[in-house]
Amino acid sequence: MSSHAGTIDHHHDPSTSTGIPNKKLLMWTFLASDCMFFGALISTHLIYRLHPMPDAPSPKNIFSIELTSFSTFILLMSSLMMALAVTAIQKGNLKSMRWSILTTIFFGSIFLGCQVYEFQEFIEVKKMTITNSMLGTTFFTLTGTHGTHVAIGVLWLILMYVRSFQPPEAGRNTAWFIRHGVHIAVIIGAILLAIFSTLALVHTLHTGENLGAFFGGHFAMLAGLLACIAAGIFLARPNGPVNFGEANAIDVESMGLYWHFVDIVWIVIFTAVYLLEYL
Amino acid sequence: MRLSSLLTSTARWGRASFALGALAVLSGCDYNFWQMDGHQSTISVAGPVARSQLDVFYVTCWVTLVIFILVGGVLAYATLKFRARTEAEEKAVPPEQGHGNPLIELGLIGASVLALVIIAIPTLKGIWYTYDVPEERKADTYEITATGYQWWFKFEYPSEQIAGTGSLTTGNELVIPAGRPIRVNVRGIDVIHSFWVPKLAGKVDMIPNRGNFLWMQADEPGYFWGQCAEYCGDSHAVMRFRVIALSPKDFADWVAQQTSPARNVAPKAGETPKAQFASLRTFKQNETGITDKYDVAPLEAWKAKQFPEKGENGALIAQGKALFVAKTCAGCHEVRGHGAAGITGPNLTHIGARSMIAAGLIENNAEQLQRWIHNPGAVKPGNKMAKGYIDNNIKLSNEDEVALVAYLQSLK
Amino acid sequence: MEAILKTDLHAKDAHAPAKSSLFWRPTAQSGLISWLTTVDHKKIGFLYGVFALFFFLVGGVEALLIRLQLMYPNGTVLTAQQYNTMFTMHGTTMIFLAIMPLSAAFFNFIMPLQIGARDVAFPRLNAFSLWTFVAGAIIINLGWFMKDGAPDGGWVGYSPLTSKTYAPDHSIDMWVMGLQLLGVASIAASLNFIVTIINLRAPGMTMMRLPVFTWMTLITAFLIVLSFPFITIALVELMMDRLFGTNFFEVSNGGMPILWQHLFWVFGHPEVYILILPAMGVVSEILPTFSRKPLFGYPIVVFSGASIGFLGFSVWSHHMFTTGMGTMATAAFSLATMAIAVPTGVKIFNWIGTLWGGHISMRTPMMFALGFVWMFMIGGFSGVMHSAAPADAQQQDSYFVIAHFHYVLIGGSLFALLAGIHYWFPLMFGRKVSEFWGKLSFWVIFAGFNITFFPMHFLGLNGMPRRNFTYESNLGWNSANFIATIGALILGVGIFIYFAVMVYTFLKGEKVGKDVWDARTLEWSLPNPPPEYNYRVIPTVHARDAYWYNKQHKAEIAQEEAEHAKAEAAHGGIHMPHQSIYPFVASLGLFIAGLGIAVVDHDPSPGFWGKKIGLSMIGGVVMLAGIYFWALEGNEGYHIHLDDEGHAPADKNAAKH
Repeated sequence: MSSHAGTIDHHHDPSTSTGIPNKKLLMWTFLASDCMFFGALISTHLIYRLHPMPDAPSPKNIFSIELTSFSTFILLMSSLMMALAVTAIQKGNLKSMRWSILTTIFFGSIFLGCQVYEFQEFIEVKKMTITNSMLGTTFFTLTGTHGTHVAIGVLWLILMYVRSFQPPEAGRNTAWFIRHGVHIAVIIGAILLAIFSTLALVHTLHTGENLGAFFGGHFAMLAGLLACIAAGIFLARPNGPVNFGEANAIDVESMGLYWHFVDIVWIVIFTAVYLLEYL
Repeated sequence: MRLSSLLTSTARWGRASFALGALAVLSGCDYNFWQMDGHQSTISVAGPVARSQLDVFYVTCWVTLVIFILVGGVLAYATLKFRARTEAEEKAVPPEQGHGNPLIELGLIGASVLALVIIAIPTLKGIWYTYDVPEERKADTYEITATGYQWWFKFEYPSEQIAGTGSLTTGNELVIPAGRPIRVNVRGIDVIHSFWVPKLAGKVDMIPNRGNFLWMQADEPGYFWGQCAEYCGDSHAVMRFRVIALSPKDFADWVAQQTSPARNVAPKAGETPKAQFASLRTFKQNETGITDKYDVAPLEAWKAKQFPEKGENGALIAQGKALFVAKTCAGCHEVRGHGAAGITGPNLTHIGARSMIAAGLIENNAEQLQRWIHNPGAVKPGNKMAKGYIDNNIKLSNEDEVALVAYLQSLK
Repeated sequence: MEAILKTDLHAKDAHAPAKSSLFWRPTAQSGLISWLTTVDHKKIGFLYGVFALFFFLVGGVEALLIRLQLMYPNGTVLTAQQYNTMFTMHGTTMIFLAIMPLSAAFFNFIMPLQIGARDVAFPRLNAFSLWTFVAGAIIINLGWFMKDGAPDGGWVGYSPLTSKTYAPDHSIDMWVMGLQLLGVASIAASLNFIVTIINLRAPGMTMMRLPVFTWMTLITAFLIVLSFPFITIALVELMMDRLFGTNFFEVSNGGMPILWQHLFWVFGHPEVYILILPAMGVVSEILPTFSRKPLFGYPIVVFSGASIGFLGFSVWSHHMFTTGMGTMATAAFSLATMAIAVPTGVKIFNWIGTLWGGHISMRTPMMFALGFVWMFMIGGFSGVMHSAAPADAQQQDSYFVIAHFHYVLIGGSLFALLAGIHYWFPLMFGRKVSEFWGKLSFWVIFAGFNITFFPMHFLGLNGMPRRNFTYESNLGWNSANFIATIGALILGVGIFIYFAVMVYTFLKGEKVGKDVWDARTLEWSLPNPPPEYNYRVIPTVHARDAYWYNKQHKAEIAQEEAEHAKAEAAHGGIHMPHQSIYPFVASLGLFIAGLGIAVVDHDPSPGFWGKKIGLSMIGGVVMLAGIYFWALEGNEGYHIHLDDEGHAPADKNAAKH
């Protein structure tokens, strides 16, 4: 399986019996398994919705269909960005791929932020926790598992993004090793800080405090966020040839399959958990 | 002859049957175990539900027997006929006898399907028949609620209401009218148990938060053995029960006796609690608590238990009655009319009339009853009563136990 | 074993400069490191086999203790609690730590050879599966060494018995986490096998030319990846109830214990086909070889296997006939279960058809294989009896069920795997087991097995429930129990003989050359034992029973091979994967995390960051690090160049070809 000069056929791998690249087949089969995994969780939720306790909380009083519709839309958009990333790298367009992956990460993080907000609302305002009702148990477990899948996807995207800056002969380059670790850390830091500051901002707006208090009270967080963003921009400057190109498209494509799957599962969850209550 | 072929050619069943025969002789007792007519037999059944289930089983037996003879016959024949007898034969290449025969395949598939249809029809009939009491007999049905606890059975009689209390409640011995369909609503209070009295019906699981039921009928009066049939913890193996089917008159008598409050035995003039008694002997680990008393004529033996014990000592009984409350037994066990109203453990209002105690495990006689009271944890591992002794710091002297035994045995 | 243990075929790529790397590249060829870092499917298969056989003995001891306790009524060998632990561990061990990994040993060793591949598609993932399996096996068995004791919830772990209320100590936690790790291992391995079988076949190896064992590997792998998620979720839900107080099976808050049963058995039923299909695959290789004829009705056998796999997902509630599902559901599952008997029966017909008209050679593998056919037939019949739900109402949870599944699991799966060990022993180790001792072990095992389990049919019909640590002497169960215990002791002797013979043969057995049995499939074309790279030249497949065809057309094949050898050498030689420590590191991380979740007590103070969370997080970090370095270290591998006679420089196996 030596690399060939010239264009790679991204839809046919002559070294395999079927022409399907091994990694792609692996990811498809894994997704079939993950389908069953979510199927079992969704079934649990639906079965218990058919047998509620007499004093069970009603989802219609708890769910905010507007927020969830918004986050669903965001996740769908992230899938679009992901698809763009794949086509970009298949054409060897590294810059376009990096931008597309960053926007995928961005949208994915918004989705996660919305979920954190939603969970906080349910627990603190609607008083539904994972232990105090069956709805809480099935809801938080199902959407929490999905959210974990999204978070793993975001982490994978970050790693892939930073990987795209790897210089040749990286195995002997300690400086790169440290640099890329820092790069990953600042992106993760940026995401976490952005989520928490946004949530804090929303909370401030809800409670009617003035914005000055928000900026004052969260100065460290906002400063950290800006620093991480700046560092991220700094570390993303072109710095010589990289060991990432068309040949790596299969990895990005496999990751894309995972991301699209997580999105589709969300569509199913959104329908079965949220929309179904409004029929 | 090489040793390997000697081994191969020796009739395998010859050696096995010799071994079996020897073992059978060695083990004594029920060496005709293949008759399957024990107390919990599913073969010597005593009611229509179990009979229906047995009939379905027999259909499967016959069909699989026929298939076994046919297929096994061909397999044995092929193995013997096409053996390579010599090295040369082994090495010779047989004519490539084709890779299959679609006609044979389809024929065999068809035959298999037919065999299964033969099984399926009585199966479907049996499923519907055994599910619930047939329409035409619904009016005659007697309802029971059976609840599985770790590790005993509670039986409630909704049609026998006791003013001020509710349904008649007993434990571990289910008395039913013979000749009538009985619908048993099974419930689980803690973990999953299962209600199984093989001679009368197949089992149904007692699952918490689930309204299962079964129906059964004892054609004739009799005494039947049952057991919990779903692993439910430490003492699953010793969670047993009895079903006693009585003629209509006997059943009415029994109900009348059971619905009355607990029996009082007034001390006779000059009676004192016994001053001397032998202390309880030690019991081996897992020692049996039964004799053959209930093996030969169990119904008669059970009926005998409905009457007062010989030599009742009223004073001793009174002492036991006081101890029953003082030692907090009343906190878990109900004795209706004597001020004991606990519901955690089995109802003991008429415990003296039961043939067995500790959930069908040991005989209800003075020695076994004292054995139980003395150390319930040794009789039923993990037992809650034993834990209760520890939690409530209950200590019983030999005299206490003897008095309690006398009291409980008086509760007919 | 020389080629596997001590090969030094690392004729490194002459053009690559000497590398020093941030990533440690292990190159040890012997010793502990070579085993911990191996990615060679043959070594990994061997390790699976060693662990499986070890745990098989552990499970056997557990079984013997059970039988000793039940030898007489009111037995005193074990207490109730010890007995309940014993049957739980016996079931869990035999299914997950013995039969499944023993099957995996063959999947790993034999399947790539059968399709003409040099390894599986993802060698490091393969190693990860192995070490995660070991981690899971350890966690399940840790309880033996701890105050809490080993798990005692039954191998099915029904709720609410396994809830924190009724099982307050850590034994169930260890059961849950151990099984989760085993699930991860199984799924990862199966994903690998699916990609390998679909994508790494030699040229000309169409799907309908695959050996039946490989087909069964594929179907089993699909069953695993599609059914294990259900038990994963069931275990997640149980663990969340136990750790966080959720309500999945909490009756007081609306939980339904029946949900556990549904989730478990949606996994559990395909699981039994996972246990039997590989065995059927092994038998489908042995019968043709020792009848010297092709398998009768190959397409039907393959299709039956696929049908069994598919239909296997539709019958799970036949384990729940007594749970009050109602007439319609009971009828549906009853009929579906009967239906699945058809493809199973078809296989038996085809095996008989294979024997018919052949020249049957009664060697030890053939005896085990024939024993399989008889015993599986009997076990299948008791299965048909169970499928009739009214009859099952009496049989469920009785010794009748125990008789049934031991006939299909021992008489079925185990016999076939024992046959496979004898059959492929010469290929794997270059030594052949003595016929006398092999056959003796067969007969003792056969007799012991039948004496143990046949009486249990009667016990069940006579009303003896299962999972009972004791019974009274007046129920008519004494003789059958006594006989069964004697049988178990005989079976134990038989297994001992089998093991002793195997170990002896491994160390000192008669050495043999290639293709001892004049077999039909590609793996036999290799030297015994195969070199690290398997095929000097990737074969081209011309027909089903590829090797048989090759043997009939020696000249054509020799010429073809010579051409391909030149082509491969021109392409840079034989490409081999590097060894790697990172799969082991990732498994180690999972192990530590598993310990944290299962074993460590919840520390109420110091708050959130107690020992439990801390240990679990450390495990998670180690796992992530392992995976990340695994991703970063790259998989470019190295190349081996063989000379014209097909020998690498300093090839110790030269004499064997």
